[in-house]
Amino acid sequence: MDFYIQVLISGLLLGGIYALISIGLNLIFGVVRILNFAHGELVMLAMYGTFWLYKLYDLDPYLSLVVVLPAMFLFGVVLQRFILQPVLTTSGVMKMFTTVGISILMQNLALILWKGDFRAVQTFYSMSTIKFSGLIISIPRLVAFGAALLSIILLYLFLKYTYVGKALRAIVEDHATARLMGITVERHYLLAFGLGALFSALGGTLMMPFSSVYPTIGGPFTALAFVIVVLGGLGSMGGTFLAGLFIGVIEAFAGTFVSPGLKEAIYFVIFLLVLMVRPQGLFGMGRGTEEIGLK
Amino acid sequence: MKKYTLWIAGGLGALLLLLVPLYFKSTFVLHIYTLTFFYIGLTAAWNIMAYGGNLSLGHASFFAIGAYVGALLYVKLGISPWIGLTGAVAASFVGGMILSMPLIRLRGPFFTLATIAFTEVLRLIAIDWRDLTHGSAGLNIPFDLGWLNLTFKSGAPFYYIALALAVGSVWLSRWVRYSALGYHLRAAASDDQAAEALGVDFNLVQITALLISATLTAVLGLFYAFYSYVLEPATLFSFELFSLQPALNAIIGGMGTVWGPVIGAVFMTPLGEFLRFYLGTIQQGLNYVVYGIILIMTVRFFPGGILSLLTPLGVRFKRWIGDTGDNQ
Amino acid sequence: MLNLKGIDCFYGDFQVLRDLSLKVEAGQIVALLGPNAAGKSSTLAAISGALPYTKGEINFCEKPIKGIKPEKVVDLGIALVPEGRKLFQTLTVRENLELGAYSRHAREKRGKTLQQVYELFPVLKDRSSQTAGSLSGGEQQMCAIGRGLMAQPRLLMIDEMSLGLSPILAKQMFTMVQEIAAIGITIFLVEQQVHHTMRVADYTYIIEKGHITMSGPTKEIAANEHVKKTYLGM
Repeated sequence: MDFYIQVLISGLLLGGIYALISIGLNLIFGVVRILNFAHGELVMLAMYGTFWLYKLYDLDPYLSLVVVLPAMFLFGVVLQRFILQPVLTTSGVMKMFTTVGISILMQNLALILWKGDFRAVQTFYSMSTIKFSGLIISIPRLVAFGAALLSIILLYLFLKYTYVGKALRAIVEDHATARLMGITVERHYLLAFGLGALFSALGGTLMMPFSSVYPTIGGPFTALAFVIVVLGGLGSMGGTFLAGLFIGVIEAFAGTFVSPGLKEAIYFVIFLLVLMVRPQGLFGMGRGTEEIGLK
Repeated sequence: MKKYTLWIAGGLGALLLLLVPLYFKSTFVLHIYTLTFFYIGLTAAWNIMAYGGNLSLGHASFFAIGAYVGALLYVKLGISPWIGLTGAVAASFVGGMILSMPLIRLRGPFFTLATIAFTEVLRLIAIDWRDLTHGSAGLNIPFDLGWLNLTFKSGAPFYYIALALAVGSVWLSRWVRYSALGYHLRAAASDDQAAEALGVDFNLVQITALLISATLTAVLGLFYAFYSYVLEPATLFSFELFSLQPALNAIIGGMGTVWGPVIGAVFMTPLGEFLRFYLGTIQQGLNYVVYGIILIMTVRFFPGGILSLLTPLGVRFKRWIGDTGDNQ
Repeated sequence: MLNLKGIDCFYGDFQVLRDLSLKVEAGQIVALLGPNAAGKSSTLAAISGALPYTKGEINFCEKPIKGIKPEKVVDLGIALVPEGRKLFQTLTVRENLELGAYSRHAREKRGKTLQQVYELFPVLKDRSSQTAGSLSGGEQQMCAIGRGLMAQPRLLMIDEMSLGLSPILAKQMFTMVQEIAAIGITIFLVEQQVHHTMRVADYTYIIEKGHITMSGPTKEIAANEHVKKTYLGM
């Protein structure tokens, strides 16, 4: 029994980070209406950032957030402003193709600049655990989960109670009417993309104490984030969080009981099933998703 | 330009293409030609779905289905690939039917995502099913010369096979475009309410296009498997090689037109091989950096593809001929 | 105040406005009446900057506003209450109203404006923390007009206000419009509902097939035989 609880807990801890990364994707999708195929590459870039700050300046991964988060926010803003903004009026698929291009570009630039090696940081707490009535919990994973939960709550409060947050929600619902209110829609797109990149970066950096980075690590994260966002409902932050935990638990159990090679296949099967049976997601429907191809 | 001059030009071109293997003995040059023909076929097949506005990033799945079914029937049961073709077509038809389930409910980018997920599932199964596919290591088609085995001493026979496949695929895609199916597909792509009101079943039309596209891709996959001898999931299910590349070719050439995919494949395949051999050896990954840039630039600056740039030129060329005729 | 001169406007190949000219004088209620698809909403879209026009010019307070983006047109003092309300359904009534005051000049005073809107529509105050999607049709229309007022406009344009409302509710809404005009806000009403509109409007334009076919003080227009026959059903 303890064994199952152990697997469940590690799944939940993992799911918290997945939720964090996916919420970034959902924010970008909800506000800017772009399916960001390069989302995992944002995670990858942040992980490399953390790695190099550690390697070159001996900066602790958690401290590196001070540099990585603003840098990735800015990176997201630049990406949106100079690469995606000019193609905003094209069809949804063409916008996605642009992000596919960004993904290929980033992945291979990483390969050229930093080689294909696995890179990891070794901190004094990387392997530390706490034992709690027979359960073993990794401290950095617990920290990552706590930070993920906290930042998701902060994002929720930001969207709920600030004026800018309300404007973002208005854009999610109907950008044309938001424009009529005088809301500078394009500027909010920049903010949303920046925030989306920031959340992925946070997820990436929080993982660095217990995992390694390599140029193609982004692909699975993109896939994962899409599965979680679709499962949780486009535009639904709460749904994304629950779906993130769910997928984390599924992964933990699948990793234990199913052939490790088929572990990833399970997400994609879930993804396809959700798209076929209930494309609005399990936890509600993002409005205005018809225009991007859900009916 | 009179119609017959076009036919003469086309005939001369075809004749030149037929003579290529006699002149070029270099296997590398023949390989580039053969690969280009394969990609013309693949892009034309991919494009049949694009007529209806559905862009797939998962055609590697059908390509690999064709390759694996044809090759496994041959390797495990000794069935000639020519007979195995029926198996490849049947299997890809079933695959197409499965993928048509999300197609009914999804359009646009979400359908594209579904095609990727579909391919990933098949890829992971292929890697995991070691008894059948030998996993990531892959399996080889034994070298046993003969037409029935699709195994040849020189590159020339496959050159002609690929040429025939390319011509056949383009012909099929052209036929689809100008058939009733093609008109209905374009109506579906533009979400033409009038056509739907007249009783055109957009779902049926889209599924038909998907099945034609899928089976044609599987046929190409089968021949490609025998051309390359080696079956490994990493290659056959490769996102870059067989899912993205046909899409990229079509976008760059001119998506949804008959000749755009041909132009795109003819332009991109030699360029891709060049980049792979020259840039790829200097620096791994550099070729894909160029691809990424080309993709971003095309969508941004000429979303209609090369064909949309050529058409005004062609019009101007005709006018120029006309003008000189009038003046002199 | 608002002056449209010779507007030509296309939707793809289809010409929606032909040589359209009209004036809205300050302090008045001006109505634009016409059948379905006559170009009424297109006229509003052109004014609010959402629909580019090929010919003609639009002046607001003697200044040309051609090419100004919709989000900046609000800053000038033109607010549009769109057809079908277009409320942000998942946001609360209060949030909807607050967002109406997004434009630069209105934002600082939004607390005060909100109180004025609540005075005008007390029901919105009662419903302030409900989501806009849960309101009844009449309440939604009040919320939409309230949201327009939050921008502190000099000109308030209302598209098809009476659409989907019961006759009694519609009548009340038109009375509200008169009250708003009394505050000193110029009103441009775009309507299919002819009777009520003519009751409140000072000046009326009739639009047919993208062109103004008739205009004049409402009394004169109402007395016209053609209008009586086609629009008033007399």
